[in-house]
Amino acid sequence: MELSQATLLRNTLRSHNVIMAYNGVVSDDLMVSLAGLLKTRLLANKDAKRSKLIFAVFMEGVQNLIWHGEKQEENYGMILITEINDEVVIMCGNRVSREKTHDLRERLNQIKGADKETIRQLYREGMSQASDHEGPGSGLGLLEIARRSSHPISYSFEDVDSENVDFILSATI
Amino acid sequence: MNIHLDATDRTPKISLITDPLTLTIAGESFPEDVSSFYGQIITTLSSLSSTVKGPLTFELEMIYINSSSIKAFYRIFECLEDYRKAGNIVNVIWKASDDDDIMQELGEDFKDRFQDLLFSIIQEG
Repeated sequence: MELSQATLLRNTLRSHNVIMAYNGVVSDDLMVSLAGLLKTRLLANKDAKRSKLIFAVFMEGVQNLIWHGEKQEENYGMILITEINDEVVIMCGNRVSREKTHDLRERLNQIKGADKETIRQLYREGMSQASDHEGPGSGLGLLEIARRSSHPISYSFEDVDSENVDFILSATI
Repeated sequence: MNIHLDATDRTPKISLITDPLTLTIAGESFPEDVSSFYGQIITTLSSLSSTVKGPLTFELEMIYINSSSIKAFYRIFECLEDYRKAGNIVNVIWKASDDDDIMQELGEDFKDRFQDLLFSIIQEG
């Protein structure tokens, strides 16, 4: 990268008030380090209730990347946090195989259109099914993110090639 | 049967003592491997009514629980529900800081799922 490009990148980060940006492999160790950094930063925040919401959304978003990243060894993971006018936006992205997007889209669609009470009900139902859920997750992560966000979640799927799709989930607190 | 695990940055303190019968879980829960971290306590609790009897108090004072740990907590509550069904009293005391909406709501969610346990949610300043 040329210095001039770095300047452009820096200016973009500044103009969007980016407080954390990461691109690369998302590992458990990375999550623990970033969680520590974010906690230190949030401790300076006077609104403890909100800080807890921000931390919870961050953790679930990053854990989703760790558990569902299609190509863990490659640098497809993205974590982006911006803070403008007391609104924190947390975006988590990764590359997923096209065949897995069908279920994900359906689930996101259901959550996106649901009000808080419905999300809570889905969460409670999900708790009882969590122990049957395959893999390290519980199936509750997306509901947790939606539940703690102050606005409905948004997301994008961008085709990469015939097999892969780049996915980004965005939550505002 | 006694169990004692100290808290770490990402795992809670867990203690199970027999006199009086008390299970305590306190701290943060986002272990790298949820099933191996909670394995021992769940195994012990799942055969509890064949080892001991009498009232049990379950005290929780959690700061953060990730969604995959919810699986383990749910299993623990199921074990305690079995212990209750075996004819024992189970008291759940869920403590949450009064500036922590998440832990208060999660306490209510567990209370809703396990309505036969004596479940109190306590807000602390």
